[in-house]
Amino acid sequence: MSKHSALDTFGRSGNPLIRSDIFSRQTSSLHERMTLQGAVDKTGILLFLTVLTAALSWNIDSPMMGLISGLGALAAFISGIATFGFWFFFIGWIIKPRPHLAPKTAPIYALGMGFGIGIMSEQAEMMFPGIVIQAVSLTFFVAASLLFAYKSGVIKPNQNFLLIIFSATVGIFLTYIANLIFSAFTGTSFSFLTDNGAFGIGISLFVVAIAALNLVLDFDIIEQAHEQGAPKYIEWFGAMALVATLIWLYIEILRLLMKLRSR
Amino acid sequence: MSFLTGFLGILGIISFISFFFLMRFRASSKQTDRSDRIKWSSYIPYRENSTKKTRKNENSSQDADFEN
Repeated sequence: MSKHSALDTFGRSGNPLIRSDIFSRQTSSLHERMTLQGAVDKTGILLFLTVLTAALSWNIDSPMMGLISGLGALAAFISGIATFGFWFFFIGWIIKPRPHLAPKTAPIYALGMGFGIGIMSEQAEMMFPGIVIQAVSLTFFVAASLLFAYKSGVIKPNQNFLLIIFSATVGIFLTYIANLIFSAFTGTSFSFLTDNGAFGIGISLFVVAIAALNLVLDFDIIEQAHEQGAPKYIEWFGAMALVATLIWLYIEILRLLMKLRSR
Repeated sequence: MSFLTGFLGILGIISFISFFFLMRFRASSKQTDRSDRIKWSSYIPYRENSTKKTRKNENSSQDADFEN
């Protein structure tokens, strides 16, 4: 008796979970692999969304905009945690990364962060005219230089590189959290973070360097995912990681320039 | 607008274009043909892994044989 005789006896199942078209749909989605061009397009879209909301919060001078910006930054933070996860020393992953959420969370992240950096940039520009153009330009100059260094093989990220950059990034993040708690109770920030002396500028330069080297890791994520034929949604994930680092780098360069110009 | 701002603005535009232009190309073999590369797939869980398992099962599974 043929192995397919059961079909003759009982007929095809009507269960939607095991209908053949379900499998064929799944198989066709497997052929949708990420491409470098796709990651470039998504990065462009996310940067456009960031600039769009940044321009809104810059130009609309209303108390409501402060609230909207705060909510936007909160939404961006939640989107970031949901996609990249949350890791802590000795505990490990508290929230695991979920890259498949990136097509939904990446635009929320970009829009939310745009509101935040719009207000920040407007205040900086009021104090030091021309500083925003300088910070944006330097951000893309650093990004383009590091991308060239990465693509040409001058900078070769390996496991040790990842450990150093990741530890430094977590250290900076914890310092900022501690500063936030400290300022909530005392009303003042850590002096070494806001100081425009040689030490404060040195700290800022260090943070800029770490933020810049995080870009190399983002380039490597995108490059390797492309080589391994990762699913299409990794384009959004890679673009989101890249935009998050570019925004961080921009904020740190802006702070560094403010310190330099206030001397 | 100061000279510095203008100069940095032009530098920024050139860098922006170069950044998006360079991103489209694959990295050199010096970068990709290394044994000490970071294994990102062990940190970033691709959902495809579970789909692959499903696909494998789909290929190996056959209709039930009621003969025995």
